[in-house]
Amino acid sequence: MAHLSNPLATAEQLYQKTSDNSLPIEIQDGIRFYTARLTQAAGLLLRLGQDITAQANVLLFRYWLVDGFMNHEFSDVSASIIYLTAKISASPRSLRSITNVYAYLLSPSSPLNSKPESLKTAKPPNPESYYLSETRYITFRNRLLHIEGQILNALGFNTHVALPHPLAITYLQTLDVFSSSIRKGLGKEVAKRTIEYLNTALLSPQMLYLTHQPASLATAAIYLAAKDSGIKLPDVEWWEVFDCEREELGFLAVGMGSLEGIVRREVERWGEKGVISRSDVREELGRMGVGNGNKNGIRDSKEGEDEEAEMARMLDEKIPETS
Amino acid sequence: MATPSHQLSPQSNAFSPRAFAVQNGRSSNSFRGCSRITDYDIIGKLGEGTFGEVHRARSKKMGTVVALKKILMHNEKDGFPITALREIKLLKLLSHPNILKLEEMAVEHHTKSTDKRKRAIMYMVTPYMDHDLSGLLENPSVKFTEPQIKCYMLQLLEGLRYLHENKILHRDMKAANLLINNKGILQIADFGLARHYDDPPPVAGHGGGDATRDYTTLVVTRWYRPPELLLHLRKYTTAIDLWGVGCVFGEMLIGRPILAGDSDPNQLKIIFELVGTPTEETMPGWRSLPGAEGMNFPPRPSSLWQRFREYGSGAISLLGELLKLDWRKRVNAIDALEHPYFKTPPLPAIAGDLPTFEDSHELDRRKFRSQKAAPPPAPKGGTVGMGPTGGWGEPSTNGTGYSHGDGYGGYRHHNSGRYPPHGGHRNGVPPPPPQDDRRPAWRRDDRPDPRGLPPRPPPVDYHDAGRGDRPDGYRSRSRELDRGPPPPRSRGGVPNVDTYIPSYGADSGRRDDRRRRDDRDDRRHVGDRDRHSTRSRSRSPARERDRDRIREREPIDRERDRDRVRDRDIYRR
Repeated sequence: MAHLSNPLATAEQLYQKTSDNSLPIEIQDGIRFYTARLTQAAGLLLRLGQDITAQANVLLFRYWLVDGFMNHEFSDVSASIIYLTAKISASPRSLRSITNVYAYLLSPSSPLNSKPESLKTAKPPNPESYYLSETRYITFRNRLLHIEGQILNALGFNTHVALPHPLAITYLQTLDVFSSSIRKGLGKEVAKRTIEYLNTALLSPQMLYLTHQPASLATAAIYLAAKDSGIKLPDVEWWEVFDCEREELGFLAVGMGSLEGIVRREVERWGEKGVISRSDVREELGRMGVGNGNKNGIRDSKEGEDEEAEMARMLDEKIPETS
Repeated sequence: MATPSHQLSPQSNAFSPRAFAVQNGRSSNSFRGCSRITDYDIIGKLGEGTFGEVHRARSKKMGTVVALKKILMHNEKDGFPITALREIKLLKLLSHPNILKLEEMAVEHHTKSTDKRKRAIMYMVTPYMDHDLSGLLENPSVKFTEPQIKCYMLQLLEGLRYLHENKILHRDMKAANLLINNKGILQIADFGLARHYDDPPPVAGHGGGDATRDYTTLVVTRWYRPPELLLHLRKYTTAIDLWGVGCVFGEMLIGRPILAGDSDPNQLKIIFELVGTPTEETMPGWRSLPGAEGMNFPPRPSSLWQRFREYGSGAISLLGELLKLDWRKRVNAIDALEHPYFKTPPLPAIAGDLPTFEDSHELDRRKFRSQKAAPPPAPKGGTVGMGPTGGWGEPSTNGTGYSHGDGYGGYRHHNSGRYPPHGGHRNGVPPPPPQDDRRPAWRRDDRPDPRGLPPRPPPVDYHDAGRGDRPDGYRSRSRELDRGPPPPRSRGGVPNVDTYIPSYGADSGRRDDRRRRDDRDDRRHVGDRDRHSTRSRSRSPARERDRDRIREREPIDRERDRDRVRDRDIYRR
C-alpha cells in the first residue's frame, strides 16, 4: 500500500547532511525548526488544511536532505514548498496570497517575532511594513517558481506524503478510546493530544517524519497522549498490533518529547528573531568562528535572481523611504 | 494492516535514526532527485505534439528501452503545470502489471551558458511499449483472434479493477490509451484526466455503486463517452470507465471504433441506435439528467444482437453488460472478469503466446502528413476543428485514391520512414472499396461518409480537457460555440448569448498565458483530434489552435478578475 507509507531517508543522506562540514548540526537544527514553524504559520494564514501544511513541512525536510541549506533563502523555500503542496492538493493557493502571507510573516509586524504572551497586548500591525509592491511581488514570485523547479528536481517528483494523523484516529478507535465505557470527553482529549504530538513532531529538527513510517509515528503519539491524559490502554504490548516495535516506540517517545529542549536552546541563540535567514546564519557562523561564510556549502547562491530583478528590487525598496 | 512488511520485524537496536534508516531505507530509492537525460541514449522520436515529444531511448544504467515523454515548459505562469504534477503523483502511487509505470523523471539542463536561465526540460520515463491498441487495429494486416481479444480484455479489466479499487477514475478510456507490447502485455496509459474518486470503490455484484459528489462532466473522448456523461450526470461513478471498455471491446471485435459520433448529440443518437433508446427501465432517472431536457427519441430497440451476431452470444452478452445505459447496473470490472465469455472456449490466450507485430507508432504517419499538411477547413457549424465531413470525407488530392488532405485525417496511414513499404501494410495503401463491400449493411447507414471510411476522430471538445468545473456560464457558452448553432434548449438558465468577443489586442498576452498553463489540456484535445493522445501528437496547424484559443477565452478582461478566474478554473476538476 504505497499511499500509506513514505520513502525514508537513507543512512547516507542523514549521515552526510549531519556530519558534513557544511553547517554545524545545531545551526541546522535551528534552520529546520524556524523554517518549519514559518511554514506552519503560513499554512494557518493561508487557511490551508493542516494535512497540506504538514505535507509541506515533510517535503521541506526531504528537500534539504537532497539540496544544501544555503542554496536558497529559507523562507523562499518554505513559500515555494507550500505553494507546490497546495497546488497538487484540492485547495490550491494563488502566488499572490502566498507572497502576501510571507511578506507579512517576514515583516517587523510578524506575530512570529513576539512572545506568545505579548501577542495579546501588541499594538496593531503596521500595514506599510508588509506591503508588497508590484515589482517586489514579481521578483518574489519568480524566485518561488524557480525554487519550485529545484524542489521537484531534487525530490524526483515524489510529492506524495503519507501522514500519520488519520492512522492515529483509526488506531484510537481500534483501541476503543471513544467507547462509552470511558469517561465522557476523555477519548476526544486523547485524540486531540495525539494530534498535537504529531504536529509538534513536524517541527522537530530530528526529522522524525523522514526516518519513521506513519504507523510508528501514530503509535508513539498515542502512547504519549495516553500517558499525559491518564487513559488506560491495554496492558499487553498493543503497539505491536500497529507494526511498531518496542524499541522504535521508545525512540520516538523520546524524540517527540525532545523538541522543547532544542527550541529553548535555539531561542536563546537567535533571540527575538521570529524567522531566521541565511544572513543570520552567516553572522552566527562568524560569531562561532566557523568558516567565513564562503566555505563549501555555505556560499550564498543568488542564481535565482538576475541582476535586473535585483536592481528592480533595490529601486523598489527605496520608494517607501522617499514617499 | 496496510504497512510495508519490512516494518514488521526490524531487528531491534534501532535506536538511532541512522540505524533505523539502514534497516528501513528503501536504499537509493528514497528521495533521490531526477535522473539526467544523459543517462539515456536517445534512439529515435516516436511522436510529437503540442505538449511535447516522445522519444525512444535506452537507459545507460539498466539497458532497458524506454519512452521519454517530454513535458514542455513554456513560460509557465504558475510554475510546473498542475495537470502534469497530478499525473506524475498519481502514476507514482500506482503499481500494477497492466498500468503503464512511470519509472522516473529525467531532466535535461540547458548547457549553453546563454540558456542557463531557461527552465530545464522534464521527461517522464516509462517503459517502451511497441503499440497502442488503436494503431494496432488500424493495421490491416493485424487481425485479432478471439483468444487474443479475450486476453487483452482480461488485462484491461484487471488494470481497471486495480485503478477503481484504489479509487482512481481514469476518465479517458480509449483504444489509443491502451499500450501493448510484443510480449502481449496490455497497459493502461495516460492519466492526464484521471482523478481521485471520492466515493466507495465498486464491490462485486453491485455495478458501479453510487456517487455522492459532483465531478466535472468534461471528460472522456467523445467516441468513448458514456451516455450519462453526454447527458451531464455529475455524480458519475467508476462505471464511466467501463463504458469505455465496452467501446474498446467492440472496437477489437470489428476492428474499428463502434461509436464514432461527430458531435455530442450525434454521439447520443448513435449510442441509442446501438443499445436502444433509454426508458425508465433501461436508464432510470435519465429524464431528470440536465442534458436530457427536451430530448425525444423515437423508441428503438437495441440492435446489439444484430450488429454483433457474428461474434457469438458470449461476446454480445459481455458487450451488453458493459454498454448498459443504466450506469448503476453497468457491470464493474470485478464482475466483468468473471463473465462466462472468458470461461468458454476458445479460452483466452496467454499473453506470451500472442503473435508479435511490427511497431505501431505515429510519427511516421505524421511525417508524411506534415509534408502535405493543409490547414483544416474552417468549421462550418461542425465541431471544433473539424470540417463538416471530418477528415475522411475529403476528395482525393494525392492521386492514391484517397487523401490525408486535412493534415491529420491520415492517421490510419502509416507512412513509414523507418520501414520500407511492405505489402500495403499501413502505408497508406489499403484501398477502401473492398472494405466497404465487406461492411455489414448497418454500418453503411450511420456513416456520414459514403465510402465507408470512418470519420475523423472527435476532438475532445476543448472544454473536455478536464480543466475544471467552470462556472456554468462559461461551459455552456463554449459548448454552444462548439456546436455552431445554439442548441434548441437553454442550459441551466444561462442565457443563450454568445459572449465571445475576439480580441487580438491588449489581451493577447493573457490568452497566451492561458494556453501555456493549459498546455497539457491543449495537447489533449489536439491529440484527441488525432485519436492518439498519448502517442500521436499531431501538430495541429497553428490557425486551428488559435481558433481554439479564442473560443476558450472567457470574456473577462479586468486584471483583478484574472487571478480569481484562474484559481477557480484550473485546479478543479
